[in-house]
Amino acid sequence: MTGPSMLRLRRILWVGLVAAAFATAAYAQEDVRCLSCHGKPGFRKTLPSGQVLELFVDPNLLRLSVHKDKHCVDCHADVSEVPHPVTPQPVNCRRCHYNGNTSGAPQLAKYLEFERSVHGKALAAGNPKAPTCQDCHGSHFILPGSDPRSRVFRANIPQVCGTCHLKIFAEYEASIHGKALAKGNPDAPVCTSCHGEHNIEKPEETTSTVNPRHVANTCAKCHDKVVIMEKYGVNAEQVATYEESFHGIANEFGVLKAANCASCHTAHDILPPSDPRSSVNPANIPKTCGKCHPGANANFANGRIHIDAKDKSAGIVYWVALGFKILTLSTLAGLFIHIGLDLYRKIRNHQKAGGAKPGAPSSEIQP
Amino acid sequence: MSEAVKKAWSDQDTRAVSEIVQQAASSALQGEIPAAMTADQADRLREALASELAGEVALDVRRAARAFFEEERRREKAAAKGRAKAGRDADMVERLSLHVRLQHMVLFSSCILLILTGLPIKFHEAAVSVFLIDIMGGPDVTRVLHRIGAVALTFIGLYHLFYCLAFEEGRKTFGQLIPKPQDAKDALHQILYFLGIKKDRPLFGRFSYVEKFDYWAVYWGMVVMITSGYILWFKDVTINQFGKFVFDIGREAHSDEALLATLAIVIWHFYNVHFNPHKFPGSLTWLNGKITLREFKEEHPLEYEEWKASQDKGSAP
Repeated sequence: MTGPSMLRLRRILWVGLVAAAFATAAYAQEDVRCLSCHGKPGFRKTLPSGQVLELFVDPNLLRLSVHKDKHCVDCHADVSEVPHPVTPQPVNCRRCHYNGNTSGAPQLAKYLEFERSVHGKALAAGNPKAPTCQDCHGSHFILPGSDPRSRVFRANIPQVCGTCHLKIFAEYEASIHGKALAKGNPDAPVCTSCHGEHNIEKPEETTSTVNPRHVANTCAKCHDKVVIMEKYGVNAEQVATYEESFHGIANEFGVLKAANCASCHTAHDILPPSDPRSSVNPANIPKTCGKCHPGANANFANGRIHIDAKDKSAGIVYWVALGFKILTLSTLAGLFIHIGLDLYRKIRNHQKAGGAKPGAPSSEIQP
Repeated sequence: MSEAVKKAWSDQDTRAVSEIVQQAASSALQGEIPAAMTADQADRLREALASELAGEVALDVRRAARAFFEEERRREKAAAKGRAKAGRDADMVERLSLHVRLQHMVLFSSCILLILTGLPIKFHEAAVSVFLIDIMGGPDVTRVLHRIGAVALTFIGLYHLFYCLAFEEGRKTFGQLIPKPQDAKDALHQILYFLGIKKDRPLFGRFSYVEKFDYWAVYWGMVVMITSGYILWFKDVTINQFGKFVFDIGREAHSDEALLATLAIVIWHFYNVHFNPHKFPGSLTWLNGKITLREFKEEHPLEYEEWKASQDKGSAP
């Protein structure tokens, strides 16, 4: 094959090769070109509001993160020339992180969960304070949650949430859960243990894990597990005894003004009853109960709150329950025996009187 | 002709019947036999006609007889029914006054309401409890209904005490309900009778030990349920005055006694007045206060004797 056609093919091949070589070079150079400004420590901008915007990016951090193979424009896709004439848009993680993507990003439905969450709704409503992915996961130094350096590593979560929820973070830090976490306890609950992660909802939402309907279930994730509770000397029956109490039953039938775990123990600054600052310390019981039972006095602390009548720890209530059990069983046994004997006599008399045995086919029906 | 046939038939005189039929056949053929027919042929024709006629007559008579017997049976049945009704009315004796019946009605109405609105709380995990609470309008409604029942029960409890003190009938009835040593003997006697050791039943007066047990069980139940119930109703007051443990005792007692009382009513009381083979599906004594003479004699023989004596004295001139 010679002549013009062969020549044309060669030309096409050459053009293609050269173009590909230039493209690759340009691609690799893209990061360098970005870093010519953004790679300089101290590269920042003062906004008209006086806020200083840090614009320095440490390229080494990106290379250590899960996105080590990505380049600046993979995420900052709206930057097409350097220097960019306008401020780039915030990065949209959904460019890769959607279900069915082929770029190897984790296939998760977290984005959908986020959209339904209180944070996602606020973002959609245009709330400038609403968090985006980067607010929790970080931007250039994103690491898997299992990495202790990650922002979303279990032990780091309270600080991350605390960047916005500062007051609650302070309460949590002082609580028994917060202190346990600070000691490195792997059982200690963090924000997400109770509130969820991407699917965090307002307590008012019926599907929220911290809605009054679900608080007991949420606490029960740990508090009815004997394996966990016995390590700390906490009774694992507390959830069951709550569910059997009037508060628990009312809650179960949908009376949400009835107390749930958090009504008495509080939500974030939970402290053991032995702590004088605890809402369930005997000295504070009148105040805590008084929130719903006006005029509650010290007698509200005179008796256990979580009672299991089948256990001797219930004191006099255990004996009352036992007494009634014996009374009920013996009474019913007596009544049943009396009825049984009565029926026995009736059947015997019926037979003696020549009547057919009950249940036996009558001679009249015989063909 | 038909009258004669019927008479002969009912007399079962088959010869008379066949004679009449033969006659009828002959007269029907009079002058009709074609001349060409031989005597033998005429005889055969006559016979055929006679058997045809006999079949017709038999069918007619049978139909008439069936109608007659059906009418007869209907008349007998109606008469029996009338006799039975008249007999029942004459057979019934009023044992419980309207005053007592009304108290019983308020008692069982409030108990049913209290059980329906209370037990679902005790057995809150059962699906039927959720269903019951829902169809009654949710816990906020059942709470009010339960307290209405509680007030009715308290009222009837107090009223009954008043009845036992202030009314002649009440004082008398109360006296008859006080347990006596005889009741223990009767109970033993009855058990021995059930077992076949004694051949005769104990003779009960106005109230047997069974009825006395029922009556005093209600006292125990009323005291426990009403006391603990008010402890729970006015929980803030009771806790403030006596401590949380008093509330807890009240709650345990209320819950446990509720079950005991319900089971006792459903098993014992219902057996005695509903499911007992002699009473099934239930006596109407609660409504009209009446009992049949047969039951009266059988279940309260001593009282029956007294009643009979007073009746005789009353009817004597």
